[in-house]
Amino acid sequence: MTGGLTPSADPILSLRSPATVMDLERLGSFSPTRLSFSRRLTRLMRDQAWHVHCVQFDLDEQGHGAAIYRLLTPTGRYHVVVFSQYLEDARRTDRVIADAWDLTFGLVEGEVDPALMEALAANVPLQEAGRQHPRLLVISRANKSQRNFEAFVSALATGRQPDSAYLNEAGYLYRTTAVYGNGKFGIADYDRLKQSPDFYQPFLAQMAAVYVLREFSAQQVEHIAVARGAERSVSLDPDIRRYLGIGNSTGLGMAPFLINHPQLISQWILVRERALAEACAQLPDDSSRERMLALCRRATAYLAETSVEDEQQRLRNRQAHDELVGVIAWLEQVPLERSLWQELLEWTHTHLSLETQELVNSLLIELYPEQVDALNDGMGAEENLDLTPDMPLIQLKQILETHFDWAIEADYDKEDARFWFWYQSAEKEEPRLGIRGEEVGEEKELALAIGPTAQRVYRDLVEVLDKQPRGLTIDLLMDYPGHMAAIRRIQTMATTVYGEIRANLWHREMKPMHLLRAKLSFLGAHRFDPRGDRWVRVTFFQGAPTLKDYDDVSANPLLFDDWSFPAAPSAHSTGLVE
Amino acid sequence: MKVSLNELQSVCRKAFVGMGFTAGHADDAAAMVAWMQSYGLDGLKELSEGLECVVASATSDRPQVIYQDADLAVVDGQKKSVLSSGNLAMELAFAKARVRGLAVIKIRHCRQRQLIMGYLSRLADRGMNVTAFWRHSQSPLTEQVVGFPARSSVPSIRVYELADTPDEDVPNDGITIVMANHVDLLPTVRSQDEYKLLAKHDESDLLAARHQALEEGITVNPEVWQQLKTFAAQTLVEASALSRSGAGPAE
Repeated sequence: MTGGLTPSADPILSLRSPATVMDLERLGSFSPTRLSFSRRLTRLMRDQAWHVHCVQFDLDEQGHGAAIYRLLTPTGRYHVVVFSQYLEDARRTDRVIADAWDLTFGLVEGEVDPALMEALAANVPLQEAGRQHPRLLVISRANKSQRNFEAFVSALATGRQPDSAYLNEAGYLYRTTAVYGNGKFGIADYDRLKQSPDFYQPFLAQMAAVYVLREFSAQQVEHIAVARGAERSVSLDPDIRRYLGIGNSTGLGMAPFLINHPQLISQWILVRERALAEACAQLPDDSSRERMLALCRRATAYLAETSVEDEQQRLRNRQAHDELVGVIAWLEQVPLERSLWQELLEWTHTHLSLETQELVNSLLIELYPEQVDALNDGMGAEENLDLTPDMPLIQLKQILETHFDWAIEADYDKEDARFWFWYQSAEKEEPRLGIRGEEVGEEKELALAIGPTAQRVYRDLVEVLDKQPRGLTIDLLMDYPGHMAAIRRIQTMATTVYGEIRANLWHREMKPMHLLRAKLSFLGAHRFDPRGDRWVRVTFFQGAPTLKDYDDVSANPLLFDDWSFPAAPSAHSTGLVE
Repeated sequence: MKVSLNELQSVCRKAFVGMGFTAGHADDAAAMVAWMQSYGLDGLKELSEGLECVVASATSDRPQVIYQDADLAVVDGQKKSVLSSGNLAMELAFAKARVRGLAVIKIRHCRQRQLIMGYLSRLADRGMNVTAFWRHSQSPLTEQVVGFPARSSVPSIRVYELADTPDEDVPNDGITIVMANHVDLLPTVRSQDEYKLLAKHDESDLLAARHQALEEGITVNPEVWQQLKTFAAQTLVEASALSRSGAGPAE
């Protein structure tokens, strides 16, 4: 547990320091915020009056077949195409090495005519093994939560509502196992999406496709229930339908993204920290304190209801729950001073776990949408790691000592400090971790550990500088051409506010799970449920508005904007209690 | 077959690493090929036709400087591909131009010179005005001049044939590049000698090609693609029961 509200690089706002924020364990404690891409999407859909509806639903009685949903935005026309098929239980795996799934789907730009539909039907179900169409913006696949799926169909077919408690463990009927964008397997490049008025922000297209899949999943269980129960069957209760999310199963494959996109990650962190600083800079009043208390109570209820398999995470959730109860008591007792939010931050940083600290930060950001939402547009980044070959070596040395002190001062010779190596397997190029000196493949190691690389550059730089005190970066590179990638990265990242994730990715105690959670929080994932330290299941869009809500002009505006940390619908509201 | 730009760059990068390029040089070489291909300038054809040379060049990542002073450098390309050390030679000139306002670099005896355009585009993007010149063959004598204005990602390219062949036997296997920090160096063909314009690529043509590549994907020769995938596969580690556990527990 580290504190550290230090002076900021920002002239107006007090940002937390990179040393505090870029600590891997802290990043691995992040919760989603209103800036997360899933939240951004549901607001955007309302603000721009997107019209999303099903235009084709050709499923048999088992729910197998194809469906098409049309998305109309003020400037664009898109379709989500879903293919559902029978899958033997033995073939169902969430691992990237799978070759078949319960369903596959994609987000297409423009119309889907018969010729395109034929091409999609031939390739989308194959995923990596297919050659995908360049008008596809996203492709993905998903497997059923068999327990939830069967429970939902059985209940609806017999005229009952399913028990929403099923969704406390796994908040979904389907979980995606990879959601691909940016040119994968022939689909559209992100460079093209950058020109799109709808999907120029990273991951917004992926989120839109996943959101539509959630709608399909509800429609599909209702369809199967009708086929099974005929007139006895009922539709899903609207509250349960809102409480139904879409799962995602993520493994190590996500980890390299965070290392290979340092400017983007640094920018996401900066926007989140600016939002937090903006929130803390606002004058609290009775109304904002009441709102904060309400958010804390809802998050407490969410944590109490959340059931995860992983013992460590269960303990973390329990601790966060108990600490949040303490936060509520603190907020109820302290006088309403101008510096209330700053004091709250100081107090949580001093007394509470990282998990609770970052949860409270997420809730604080929630309080001030007017100040925070304007920052959402800054979540993208031009990613160019540029060299400055004329930079004097003495300046490069200072940069390393200032921004990479955590890296150059570490001891990478210790056995524990160089325990893991990262590599890509021949099996679908899946990233994996191997034990150095024990497992094969070390010579093909992926260069993901920035710390040791920065240290090597520093040592060679000191040597060259000794001989050439007025030397330039190009002089170092002419002696050590292999440092090209590292120096380019060091020079570029030194110009960002938050820089690199500060961790030795070789270290025996390094938890890849922290990398996964950091990214998933920005996407908007709830119900973080790790399976070991390299595999996690999460839920998206649980509590989010449904398509029906968007069609309802009298719907409460909060439905579209205030759905994080959702509590289960009460039995009364869903008709479970007679 | 059609591939995306990101796919092309990613497979090229892995292929170069598989051949033995260091990470930074593989990044740059892949970006050079992908840039050429995305602007309709046949980077993959240039790559595949000289693939043996590229493989032989993989570990030659350090330019051999024959002469340099504050404004000028002459580098021996050692008959290697510009993909292997062309990036560093360009950075050397870039550093000089930033300090001195203008710099000239000559790379002698190099291969696959067209591909250097992919790197020059990056220098232009970083604010440098760049012009490159080279001769293709002796008979008929053709010359190519490529100019990037600062902050532009697309060049102006002219290829022309000269009617009169000069009486000299120095091989045409070098490139001369001029970089200027503050002055446009765009090529305009003005010659008293008789010449025939063979190719002219302007900004609009190149941007249209780029747009088409992003809209429709990039056409690649399946055999070349397979060759690249084979090199890329050399970066992968064979799977085993032990390695499968390296991705986390099975469900």
